[in-house]
Amino acid sequence: MSRAGQFRRRAVPALAALTVGALALAACSGGGDGDGDGGGGGGDGTLQILALKHPLTGAMADMAWVGQIEEAAGVTIEWEEVSADWDQKKPTMLAAGDIPDLIVGTNAITNGDLATFNGLFEDLSDDLESLPNVTGMFEAVPATESMATQPEGEIFSLPSYRRFWPETGTRQFINQQWLDNLGLEQPTTWDELHEVLLAFKTQDANGNGDPNDEIPMDWAPVGETGFGLFQPTVLLGSMGMPISDGGGAGYFVEDGEVKNFLIDERYRDLIAFLHELYADGLISQDVMTQDYSAYQSVARGEGDTARVGFTWGWAGSDRVGAQLVGQYSALPPLRADESMSEADLTWSYDSYMLNYGVNSITMSAQSDNKEAALAVINAFYDQDISLEVLWGDFDENITKVDDTSYEVLPPTDETVDPSTWKWTTTLADNGPGWIRDDIDVVLPSDLAEAVEQSQPLEAAIANVDPDADIFPGQLIKMSQEDLNTISINNTAVFTIAMQRWATWITEGGVESGWDGYVAEVGGSGLAQNIEIHQSYYDEFSSSQG
Amino acid sequence: MTAASPAQSRPRQRGAAALVRHARRYWQLWVMAAPAIAFVAVFAYVPMYGLQLAFREFDFSAGLTGGEFVGLKYFQQFFDSPQFWTLIRNTVVISLTTLVAGFVAPIALALIVNQVVGRTRKKFLQTATYLPHFISIVVIVGMLQVFLSPSSGLITRVAEFFGVTGVNFLGSSTFVSVYVISEVWQHCGWNSIIYLAALASVDTQLYEAARIDGAGRFTIIRHIDVPALVPTMIVLLILNMGNVLNTGFEKIFLMQNPLNLGVSEVIATYVYKIGILSNQFSYGTAIGLFNTLINFTFLVVTNQVAKRVSNTSLW
Amino acid sequence: MMRLSFLRTRSPGDIAFTIGLVIVCAVILFVTLYPIYFVMIASISDATMVATGRVWVWPQNISLFGYEQILEDGRIWTGYRNTIIYTVVGTAVNLLVTLPAAYALSRREFRPRRVLMFFFAFTMFFNGGLIPMYLLLRDLSLLDNWLVFILPSAVNVYNLIIARAFFENSLPEELYEAATIDGATYFQFFARMAVPLSMAIISVIGLYYLVQHWNDFFTGLVFVRTYDKQPLQIVLRDILISNQAFSGGAGGSGGSGGGSYAQQYADQIKYGVIVVSTLPVIILYPFMQRYFEKGVMIGSVKG
Repeated sequence: MSRAGQFRRRAVPALAALTVGALALAACSGGGDGDGDGGGGGGDGTLQILALKHPLTGAMADMAWVGQIEEAAGVTIEWEEVSADWDQKKPTMLAAGDIPDLIVGTNAITNGDLATFNGLFEDLSDDLESLPNVTGMFEAVPATESMATQPEGEIFSLPSYRRFWPETGTRQFINQQWLDNLGLEQPTTWDELHEVLLAFKTQDANGNGDPNDEIPMDWAPVGETGFGLFQPTVLLGSMGMPISDGGGAGYFVEDGEVKNFLIDERYRDLIAFLHELYADGLISQDVMTQDYSAYQSVARGEGDTARVGFTWGWAGSDRVGAQLVGQYSALPPLRADESMSEADLTWSYDSYMLNYGVNSITMSAQSDNKEAALAVINAFYDQDISLEVLWGDFDENITKVDDTSYEVLPPTDETVDPSTWKWTTTLADNGPGWIRDDIDVVLPSDLAEAVEQSQPLEAAIANVDPDADIFPGQLIKMSQEDLNTISINNTAVFTIAMQRWATWITEGGVESGWDGYVAEVGGSGLAQNIEIHQSYYDEFSSSQG
Repeated sequence: MTAASPAQSRPRQRGAAALVRHARRYWQLWVMAAPAIAFVAVFAYVPMYGLQLAFREFDFSAGLTGGEFVGLKYFQQFFDSPQFWTLIRNTVVISLTTLVAGFVAPIALALIVNQVVGRTRKKFLQTATYLPHFISIVVIVGMLQVFLSPSSGLITRVAEFFGVTGVNFLGSSTFVSVYVISEVWQHCGWNSIIYLAALASVDTQLYEAARIDGAGRFTIIRHIDVPALVPTMIVLLILNMGNVLNTGFEKIFLMQNPLNLGVSEVIATYVYKIGILSNQFSYGTAIGLFNTLINFTFLVVTNQVAKRVSNTSLW
Repeated sequence: MMRLSFLRTRSPGDIAFTIGLVIVCAVILFVTLYPIYFVMIASISDATMVATGRVWVWPQNISLFGYEQILEDGRIWTGYRNTIIYTVVGTAVNLLVTLPAAYALSRREFRPRRVLMFFFAFTMFFNGGLIPMYLLLRDLSLLDNWLVFILPSAVNVYNLIIARAFFENSLPEELYEAATIDGATYFQFFARMAVPLSMAIISVIGLYYLVQHWNDFFTGLVFVRTYDKQPLQIVLRDILISNQAFSGGAGGSGGSGGGSYAQQYADQIKYGVIVVSTLPVIILYPFMQRYFEKGVMIGSVKG
């Protein structure tokens, strides 16, 4: 688009100079160092793989399993390692069509990317004969095939399956020592919780002489785009509402109908309850504005003196630190009131999120070395390599006892906890892989702890029927147009919803503001989003037969 | 664009001779400007074809410029968005406040630093005020969290000491002040450097003369220092006016929490959430272009006013 | 000696002014230095105590863990080397391109300058976006090439405008007239008069460019794929950003709640990164300050 017209006569000399300059520049920059060929693979036995890593994760070259994959596929791998700002790096790379042979990392390429960049990724559905491990996984764990398959049957990405993770990410903790100090029982209903928290607040529960330093209740920072783990949305289960992934964007299913809890009266009741607690000073003043560091740090207390009474977290030793973990008990789900039956209680069902990693590996359609790329994918899903990608190399981090039994070893560096160790030494949860259902693994202590602390929740989780109660977002691939509509609507909806959530809890007013709010978020696109979800759900359930 | 051809052909005869004269006289200036012109032409003008994405569907398989032409669809979509007016209001409030405070503070600081007697003291003050510029945004926001925490923050406690209680400084009522004050705090010293450089060019004889005339120090500041800063001030003011719809992105994004979302959602964060996180390239480009047009209009208008009022202008 | 003459001529008004000035400066110093001090003590304190507001005056549970982590990371030295190269070469190119252009555009008799200024200023607002830029750099073989840190950012229009304004307003026109009578060309006047007389603004512009290169992480992020070529900021960002990895709603991190263990380690590093990355730039500053001293310009004219 020439703007020369605006410049009229005076532009002539300017343009002349410009052309000369541009030519000169092009001439001298042409002689760059020549290896700027970003993607597409070398075609000479090297394969370029972009790996999305946790910032703690060490160099790919230091992982012994990388050598095993190279050997299995007969290639040399050139790694491009990304551990920060992937969201900003990615769009340009994809839009310019400049991707390496493989991209590895859980949801590094999202469903939205797969839909938008049509033709950029290899359709693996016609390459499955070169991927015996993958077809094996599809047969053994059918959900993985649903996760991989597009509406038209193409397979642009493959998920991972981790098997051993608990079915929920959020565990509920109460300071048992405080209860004992004050001669209280574990609460089982919201009212009892309220009373217990009041006692924590007023009676110097930690016994350090300062009656004001106790924080009776705290939860993880809620983002601006939806709910997640360790947040009070799990209390929706107290009223029998089935939620998943800690709440997410709010979708659930009741009697075949897709609903969103953001406009459900049970959500309103939860907010009203939380406001009562907040108004009594029972919830951390920082709860709406603290960052994750502060949320984690404050629960670590001072020495043996705990500060937080009731909270949610991944596992006790992670949530409150190794020193205080002994003071806390994992608490079963609470009932909203006496009229709720135990049999109707639910808890957040997160298994699709925890035991599966969607879109964990994708392949470029322009790869020059297709066979090698496929061989690498297949190797990632090998029985042994899958374990090594997840927990680290054999001998150093895992002992292979025999062909079907393994033991994950404690960290060789004793100052590091098992989870940090895992993220330091390997791709861990970011890697693709298939952990077989028929092998035995002695789990690392962090995972074993989480599994154990999930036990009080198991009955409630079992009340959630993943096929009938939750919206299986991970198993459904939507069209580009629908994804666009949903994301634009979500931006508007959550701007309103999260703000109300925060102000209603801290300042009250949910009863009077509720009807106006329901109309407002409905009109901002939530109604349309629910419709879209419903149509995909109907299609999905009919295909499941 | 169609205006180009008649405009070029009319003065061709006279133009040729004038051109030769011009070249003979000014070729050295052209040579000096040429590298800058070339760099800008290549790296700023060549990629500008990407702007048409605002009027087209982004279609990956058809290439960047091959998508279907949809006219003003995406602009319309933005104007019709339920968030449009909130975004505009929040953006203007934040950017104008930052602009005014961020414009005045460095001038004041430069004048103050300039009053300090003694090289070492002056250098120390300058260096101290310039340090915060180098703290990364992630850490600044982390520090704001720690300093302003309603339960344990230092500033909250100081405020309580002065009788201000029950305010969550990280919430919505104080969001704009916290943002602006921390911006000024961080960049004031850095932005005063340019003014200090301008003050350095003041002829010291002027001060001597004023002192002999018995002028007080305020008088000296008003009649010697401030006038020395005026040209720089005008240029920076014009440039700043071209930022009415610009706010930083990262800092606001990191400072957002559910409590302040009503005042902290600005165009830049909206574009990030819509455009980058969900591949809405066309929509993102359209919003960006809308932003640019408003900013550019402000710049052009301010520039014309400045030209008339003070005879200083960008072009 | 200047100060002595001041003392002798002090009026009551002057004294009041000085007291006021001292108070204002003290406040400014406290307000700027305390947070800097906080960064320093936070970088050696227990991260948990920092986050819960128990570190204000003295560092608590001192440990150099953060620094050990940062300095142990071999990538950081490569990052340092790269950044120094990009900054030195980049700033040199910037000044060589910007200053002559700014001077040319400051000449009032140079009629095309208005159009040229518009040509430049236009690009401060309108740009084609990242994707066409990426494609262009790919066509020029600048992707993953160290020149990408130098060439596309060779001219910063903002700096060009500031430099031009300075040349236009601070160089006395009589000087140029006198020089032309002596037969000086534009080249000669620029090199022998304009540059020496404008050291204050040149050092400011140089500093602006230098810091721009030093802090540039976006170029590396989007246009460079090989880690060996990445600047310091990318390396540090990788360390720093881990703090953010788990905070944006735990759902975002691929569902691995277990990753939050790692949080504490990342926090300890956060403040140390600032110290490591900015120390060199901060040390540089006092060396440039001499150009802001009064009389530099006038002195050189006379001399």
